[in-house]
Amino acid sequence: MTSLTRLTFATAFAAGTILSGAALAQDDSVLVGQLADYTGPTSFVGKQYGPGVSDAFKQINADGGIDGTMVELDTVDYAYKVPEAIAQFKKWVGNDMVALQGWGTADTEALISFVARAEIPTVSASYSAHLTDPTGKNPTTKSPAPFNFFYGPSYSDACRALVQWAADDAKEKGIEKPTFVHTGDNHPYPNAPKEACGSYAEELGFNVAPPVVVPLAPGDFKAQCLTIKDTGANYVYMGNLGGSVVSLIKSCNTVGVDATYMGNPWAGDYQTVEAAEAQNLIFPSSTPFYGADVPGMELVKKIAENGGGQVGDRPTHHYIRGICSAYYMKEAMEWAKANGGIEGKNIRDGMYQKADWVPEGLEGVCSPSNWTTEDHRGLLKVTINSGTFKDGEAVIEKIAEIDVPRRDEWLGQ
Amino acid sequence: MAHVPNPRPTGDFRVSYAADRTLFKTKNETYFVIGGILLVALAPLFFGGYVLSQLILIGIYAIAALGLNVLTGMTGQISLGHGAFFGFGAFASAWIAGNGIPVMLAIPLAGMMTMAVGMIFGIPAARLKGLYLAIATLASQYILQDFFARADWFTGGTYGSLAETASFFGYALDSDASYLYLVLFWVIVSFVGVANLARTRDGRALVAVRDHYLSAEIMGINLTKYRILSFGISSFFAGIGGALYGHYLGFVSAEGFTILLSIEFLAMIIIGGLGSVSGSLLGAAFILLLPQAMEIFANAVATVVPAIAQGTAYIKQMSVGAAIILFLVLEPEGLVHRWRMMRASWKLYPFSH
Repeated sequence: MTSLTRLTFATAFAAGTILSGAALAQDDSVLVGQLADYTGPTSFVGKQYGPGVSDAFKQINADGGIDGTMVELDTVDYAYKVPEAIAQFKKWVGNDMVALQGWGTADTEALISFVARAEIPTVSASYSAHLTDPTGKNPTTKSPAPFNFFYGPSYSDACRALVQWAADDAKEKGIEKPTFVHTGDNHPYPNAPKEACGSYAEELGFNVAPPVVVPLAPGDFKAQCLTIKDTGANYVYMGNLGGSVVSLIKSCNTVGVDATYMGNPWAGDYQTVEAAEAQNLIFPSSTPFYGADVPGMELVKKIAENGGGQVGDRPTHHYIRGICSAYYMKEAMEWAKANGGIEGKNIRDGMYQKADWVPEGLEGVCSPSNWTTEDHRGLLKVTINSGTFKDGEAVIEKIAEIDVPRRDEWLGQ
Repeated sequence: MAHVPNPRPTGDFRVSYAADRTLFKTKNETYFVIGGILLVALAPLFFGGYVLSQLILIGIYAIAALGLNVLTGMTGQISLGHGAFFGFGAFASAWIAGNGIPVMLAIPLAGMMTMAVGMIFGIPAARLKGLYLAIATLASQYILQDFFARADWFTGGTYGSLAETASFFGYALDSDASYLYLVLFWVIVSFVGVANLARTRDGRALVAVRDHYLSAEIMGINLTKYRILSFGISSFFAGIGGALYGHYLGFVSAEGFTILLSIEFLAMIIIGGLGSVSGSLLGAAFILLLPQAMEIFANAVATVVPAIAQGTAYIKQMSVGAAIILFLVLEPEGLVHRWRMMRASWKLYPFSH
């Protein structure tokens, strides 16, 4: 046993030396870190979005990289743990990372000041509106996020669009004063749109019930559903995703809640609709679905075919959003290379160069986006879908397209 | 603990009180410890970020494990809330430093605050023993965890809070190499402190409470006082460890301080050696390095047998569990006992003991 223990220590240290000694950055390549959740509480969609990003970079490298410079993507499964994300970030910075593909809200928000200090532009899969005010122009912004970007409407804006849709829907159904309730874990990700969306619902004449805490880990949520039933909610916003959403819908059906469920950008896809056997699950999207008839779908299909094959032959729209995140970063890096070299600040400035920006080859897939030095709300157009489980499969149809107004007081909220 | 022969050579008698009071049993032991400290102090010259960060984390966890060892190893009380006290120290230090007090002062202050909290949660220990105490301390874990998520003013709520970088007379300790010295300083202070504690009246009283609480009480030891004191000391070191951890990462978030961490601390002292000061350090190093060693092992197996490449993560997790079980079966008294046996057999060669 002793010799085994000694051997263990020796191997650990030897490996450590090798790891630290190996210089990762080569002349013709740049390091991009990717935080992914493949085993944590958000892995349900993490296993879709993460491969979207890594497959896209694989394709980018196959197509010649950033005008000849290869992207060395280091994907790390941090299991949705903030301390791990921070430790990993520090390690990457020590290895001269130039940009970061982030994941969750808790870690991306925790890293705001770190990425700003190290000048590492971050494209995250967290759509928290707290990441959209780069200069602190809005006095209510807690901390400005000058190096944070994401592709798609923020959680708050997506929820505002849903509420706007719900107001019309209620009018159509003849509900005089509909009730809106926010559900989700007490965690930065579900909490992000809580206040913003609630106050907009109030503005539109909803009766806003107190938020109900529903854990992010799936479970039996009948107690929460009874609370939701007591509020008389007509529209239930779900801030969680995956198994938790499935559990909530099933538990609430058992309890007999009669409401329309609306999810955030991660809470709805064909897999969730099928697992929950949901009827009329409302969810936003910012790309068309896999196989849609748009010119850019060809590249998406090519990426999926040449990719690591983790998503099977029918990826969800989360995978496609991952591709968009990667390609916006790629084009910003191209601009950086032509304007002083591929490094943090230049890549960030590269994000500001184009108006109504669609990455080349992804026409019709990624919606035209605008990032400016004072406003990181890239996309305000929200597509709203309804998913219904019919005859053993999910039928998803687009029911509305809403342009959320670019109000100054909503910046960073 | 099984009998281990005294490592001092024959004829080396202690003839004065001063000789009897030395911290280390033999001269070689003294050289060994000083050499070890020098080696760590020189590590930044030879090693890169990875080894340094491992050394820092081992130091931080060792301080916290040492605290738990005072409570569990020396006093015989169990605590399932040590991880939460560790977290409290981290938040407290971030909060104190955020209010304009230098980090160097915030760390010991956070230790004091955690000590106070630990003593409050230690009160049930005056009445409860064994499994009942375990459950009572489990409550402290959950109460503190909920407090972290809700006390926005103190912890930043679910978002967590930024912990400022430590600086030493204007020199920012923002690299692993410089932070290592701060951790090393606290490791030395803590370990010398506890090694000495064991030799004081209070320290012996703690051991008496562990060995037979009834006899201890009959001998005039105030059980309530010493049990609560033991919780206080243990939480103090948890707080120091947590504070160092918070300022090292630069950000403190509630999700890191769950029951799992508490159990990891227990595993550290059981594997290192209950009641042993140096065992806390060995145990912390073992628990921290084992998963990484197993990852290397799993990856090595995967290169030989490519069929299992998809399952390396599982193999890693399972081998960590298997290694711990094997360890407990083969060496139930901890790493420190194994080390003593090795030393004894070397000293007494060719005579067996």
